[in-house]
Amino acid sequence: MSIKTTPNGYTLNTGGQRVVVDPVTRIEGHMRAEVNIDENNIITNAVSSGTIWRGLEVILKGRDPRDAWAFVQRICGVCTGTHALTSVRSVEDALGINIPENANSIRNIMQLSLQVHDHLVHFYHLHALDWVNPMNALKADPKATSELQQEVAPHHPKSSPGYFRDVQNRLKRFVESGQLGPFKNGYWTNPAYLLPPEADLMAVTHYLEALDFQKEIMKTRTIFGGKDTHPNWTVGGVPCPINMDGVGGVGALNMVNLNQVHQILKDTKTFVDDVYLPDILAIGKFYKGWMYGGGLSSQNILAYGDIPDKANDYSLENLMMPRGAIINGNLNEIHEVDLRDPEQIQEFVPHSWYKYPDGVKGLHPWDGVTDPNFDVSSAKGSKHHIEELDENASYSWIKAPRWRGHAMEVGPLARYVIGYAQGHEYWSDQINRFLKDLDVPVDALFSTLGRTATRALEAQWAADQQLYFFDKLMTNIKNGDSSTHGGELWDPEEWPSEAKGVGFSEAPRGALGHWIRIKDKKIENYQCVVPTTWNGSPRDEAGNIGAFEASLMNTKVERPEEPVEILRTLHSFDPCLACSTH
Amino acid sequence: MTTKPVVAHSEAAVYVYEAPLRLWHWINALSITLLAITGWFIASPLPSVSGEAIDNYVMGYMRFVHFAAAYIFAVGFLFRIYWAFAGNHHARQIFLPAIFDKDWWGGVWHELKWYAFLVKEPRKYIGHNPMATLFMHLMLVWGSVFLIITGFALYGEGTGMDSWQYALFSSWVIPLFGQSQDVHTWHHLGMWYIVIFVIIHVYVAIREDIMSRQSMISTMVSGWRMFKDARDVEDKP
Amino acid sequence: MIETFYDVMRRQGITRRSFLKYCSLTAAAMGLGPAFAPKIAHAMETKPRIPVLWLHGLECTCCSESFIRSAHPLAKDVILSMISLDYDTLIMAAAGHQAESIIDEIIEKYKGNYILACEGNPGLDEGKTGGMSCIVGGKPYTEQLRRVAKDAKAIISWGSCASWGCVQAARPNPTGATPIHKVPDIGDAPIIKVPGCPPIAEVMTGVVTYMLTFDRLPSLDRQGRPLMFYSQRIHDKCYRRSHFDAGQFVEKFDDEGARKGYCLYKMGCKGPTTYNACSTIRWNGGLSFPIQAGHPCIGCSEDGFWDKGGFYDRLTSIDQFGIESNADDVGLAAVAAVGVGVAAHAAASAVKRAQQKGDQE
Ligand code: HEM
Ligand code: HEM
Ligand code: NFV
Ligand code: SF4
Ligand code: SF4
Ligand code: F3S
Ligand SMILES: [Mg+2]
Repeated sequence: MSIKTTPNGYTLNTGGQRVVVDPVTRIEGHMRAEVNIDENNIITNAVSSGTIWRGLEVILKGRDPRDAWAFVQRICGVCTGTHALTSVRSVEDALGINIPENANSIRNIMQLSLQVHDHLVHFYHLHALDWVNPMNALKADPKATSELQQEVAPHHPKSSPGYFRDVQNRLKRFVESGQLGPFKNGYWTNPAYLLPPEADLMAVTHYLEALDFQKEIMKTRTIFGGKDTHPNWTVGGVPCPINMDGVGGVGALNMVNLNQVHQILKDTKTFVDDVYLPDILAIGKFYKGWMYGGGLSSQNILAYGDIPDKANDYSLENLMMPRGAIINGNLNEIHEVDLRDPEQIQEFVPHSWYKYPDGVKGLHPWDGVTDPNFDVSSAKGSKHHIEELDENASYSWIKAPRWRGHAMEVGPLARYVIGYAQGHEYWSDQINRFLKDLDVPVDALFSTLGRTATRALEAQWAADQQLYFFDKLMTNIKNGDSSTHGGELWDPEEWPSEAKGVGFSEAPRGALGHWIRIKDKKIENYQCVVPTTWNGSPRDEAGNIGAFEASLMNTKVERPEEPVEILRTLHSFDPCLACSTH
Repeated sequence: MTTKPVVAHSEAAVYVYEAPLRLWHWINALSITLLAITGWFIASPLPSVSGEAIDNYVMGYMRFVHFAAAYIFAVGFLFRIYWAFAGNHHARQIFLPAIFDKDWWGGVWHELKWYAFLVKEPRKYIGHNPMATLFMHLMLVWGSVFLIITGFALYGEGTGMDSWQYALFSSWVIPLFGQSQDVHTWHHLGMWYIVIFVIIHVYVAIREDIMSRQSMISTMVSGWRMFKDARDVEDKP
Repeated sequence: MIETFYDVMRRQGITRRSFLKYCSLTAAAMGLGPAFAPKIAHAMETKPRIPVLWLHGLECTCCSESFIRSAHPLAKDVILSMISLDYDTLIMAAAGHQAESIIDEIIEKYKGNYILACEGNPGLDEGKTGGMSCIVGGKPYTEQLRRVAKDAKAIISWGSCASWGCVQAARPNPTGATPIHKVPDIGDAPIIKVPGCPPIAEVMTGVVTYMLTFDRLPSLDRQGRPLMFYSQRIHDKCYRRSHFDAGQFVEKFDDEGARKGYCLYKMGCKGPTTYNACSTIRWNGGLSFPIQAGHPCIGCSEDGFWDKGGFYDRLTSIDQFGIESNADDVGLAAVAAVGVGVAAHAAASAVKRAQQKGDQE
């Protein structure tokens, strides 16, 4: 047993019972969590480990930079596209390539549709079962559910008692079959579930509705990018040409498929407004007493910014999602973030399964090194059967990125807090309304619930901005510009012999950066620092714990053998492990 | 230099290449030429034509000529194999180099030295000299086999999984090379292999015609081998 | 009560009459006499949903994402009424040992009667990654995979990861990522490959529903892909094919040809070498596919498509001959060398001949 205090202010006590959750489910990829709990079932030490690694950074070496987007897009199929976007931006940055205005609008619509989709699917299909008990829904009175539905979302057409009875019957048949499928072995008798049966039935119904609807959201990307998941992108613009009124227009973006895009965008907004947001409020009401999980969110948060209004301008003023860093909870000072500054962003590996040629020093991603070195010799168990990780040694495939030495939280909550502090009008209105509706103070944001709520608010904002960019696209075409690809510097023969660049975006889970070095037309080095790399980071050289670990601290776990609270808080980050280690 | 003067002298001509073989030779040469030209443009098409798709068939014709020539080439090759059995002694040569015969290798070595200007005189042959035989065997015979197999494997992809071309070729060739794209690459490299053969072959044919002790080009036209001196030949049948 | 296959069919509007007819057809198709039809009907009316254990290895989860985009049938209906998705770490409620114990239970209860659905693949490298590039429950994923594969009725290899190796197996394959059928000791359950990065949603659910409806595996080609979806190339059914035949090509993005929908061959389109259903079934409910949106096919359902040179080059690059070479570079270089050789030799020969002539005189 040991007690020590980390530089970022957490007292870690390794006494008491060690609880292991492996696999952590309902996330993308593979992850393990270990915590120590004291005699009151309070978490006193938290260890999170990324348990998958594929080596994309190694694989990218020597490839054509114009192809990189396709490789890095396969870092993740859940936040599909955001890596591709970040990649083409990094190459454009390195070579100084400008993209046409229409390409910017189309890229933004694609990126925003990912925000909506990913957030929606995360809430209903990955996160909801931490709050919603489908078994309890069987006890609901469909009529009461119908009333609840009409109260929380009067516009939503699917609200009749008969509708809910049908869903309930289907659920009943499913449960009675004895084959519970994905609901098997859930913690359904755990007192941590607080919803009344009506709310449970409503939420389960929307679980199914959202599952049907999500596939519609991504259809815009199929029109612009040819498929989803993993649509197509290109350095220098977008691949889809526009031909509104000429020979062969039927094979390009034309009135028919743009009408279709428009309809999808409108339906998306309706679904978010009438289902997602109301559900967050309805469920939130019952859990607003559960204020755990704030972690680093009230201390150190980071965002790079995204959604350039005009093409090719990545300055603060032009970005519709904010950039900045907040340190030690001082909301009055927003630090400028420079992705090129070698002193700002660095990655450390002393607690990760990698090695650096010269030891423990942090490396800026342009000089980053990815060299695997799996080692669990000091863990409990054996190499191929880990019983307990040793957090004093290497214990994760995730590197530890730091901003000026600080562990940071990224994601919707970080973005919203920074935006709020900067006076982002739309976001501040949303937050104020939300706090008022739920009747909680602003501090309540710094919690598991706050993370889940801001994600929903962001989906709503994104659904709106999609329509803004759709209008922008149409206006621009109307004004006679139908260019979607500049063609500039497409030929590698025109490139300088050496170049370096950085691309960034705000992925659904947070700040994403790709750093590229090009030499003799080939990728010399490619490094990704991904949202879940930040949030899921292990300890660094100084001993700072990462965002996941910090958020678990001091949480009460009702039943250690059914640690739904751990899942709840981890899920509120929407961890993506394939992303985190890549 | 103390070379003995070459005595200009003629010996009775020998009928070496029978008509079917000569016909095959020239048809084969023509089909390979067409295959290489069309193959090149299949891989790197001409600049786009404008107008309606239905009024143009540039790529279609390119591929049609390729496939038509391919059939002629392949059928010709089958015929040539048949002729190796049916024809005279010389018809077998390029298929069966005497690789187990030490003297034959001596002939290859001598011919090599002749080309490296290390001996002052080539040997005299009625049929192909050993080096020519070896060269034709390795480059033309196996090159043709390779192009036909990979070519039909590609062709079978178009005729479909239920076609004989697919069953006979594509079904095993594609997995053997990895995937379809790899078969294209190898087929394409095969073209260069044959092109190299043709360049050297034509050069040597002309050179030998001038510098060796027997006739060449006219032989492939008329079938008759003429000799420039009266000494013994190496390959007495 | 268990919702059986019959229930599912009834709910989807199939009458009892046509259900029975379907059973006798099935009996006939299986080479059984008409007497077996009632037995099949009985089995269908009482049979529980088939358990599916969906394992995740080294992957990007895009295959799952694609799966839930299915419109016909809806992913919801597959999960609720057709199969019993008892293990899938992506969506299952249980976690940790409660999740892992499901695997033991299903293997024991349904030995030989469950389906293993593989997304991703195992990393077999025992060097720097120690065989632990993918860990589940503290153990290598490879162990879990082998255990579940051993007693499976059939294995579905989802996507290019499970089928071929995909991006993590691209050179230099740092984790030793290995497609399912090449994993040593994987057992001998039949493997159905459904390649694509990811595969088309409706193709995924199509394969599953085919297996449930006909109670047999789909016909496979030599490489294990269902013939019904993978027996033709994108190019064979591409709607831009008339432009290919005409010789009308896009020369660069957003040019005149691109706006008219010309063929993308010169942009590196791999449609001519790619077996997949994109140009017919298309994506996301038949809406579009890469070529329709103006981008060349990158061949994402083909073995090793990552290592065939640039996506925008028609010709594969051949790394063995140094950087930036393709078949033409290699061929032209060789021809040039031979040409120079021939010319030099011809010159030398001419000189020699002149000398000899001189000697003779
Ligand atoms: C694509 C072009 C060509 C190919 C593939 C080709 C192939 C062949 C082959 C396989 C033979 C051996 C015949 C046998 O024993 O079956 C041969 C012999 C011969 N070819 Fe060609 N040939 C080509 C073009 C030419 C041309 C353009 C000439 C004339 C300039 C020529 C002149 C000869 C001669 C003279 C022989 C007889 C050599 C000897 O007697 O040893 N060939 N050729
Ligand atoms: C001397 C013999 C041949 C030469 C030099 C030759 C050359 C070529 C070349 C350079 C290509 C383009 C490859 C690429 O995609 O990069 C090609 C394609 C092809 N060749 Fe040949 N080939 C020969 C014989 C054959 C034969 C015997 C067949 C059998 C039918 C054949 C069928 C094809 C087919 C089907 C294609 C693909 C056409 C397409 O992709 O549209 N070739 N050939
Ligand atoms: N972390 C992460 Fe991603 C996201 N959002 C990407 O950059 O999830 Ni797959
Ligand atoms: S096959 Fe492609 S899409 Fe599917 S998991 Fe692998 S990388 Fe992702
Ligand atoms: S676009 Fe691609 S698949 Fe379509 S015809 Fe052209 S080469 Fe073939
Ligand atoms: S890239 Fe893949 S999605 Fe289809 S069109 Fe080509 S196989
Ligand atoms: Mg990285």
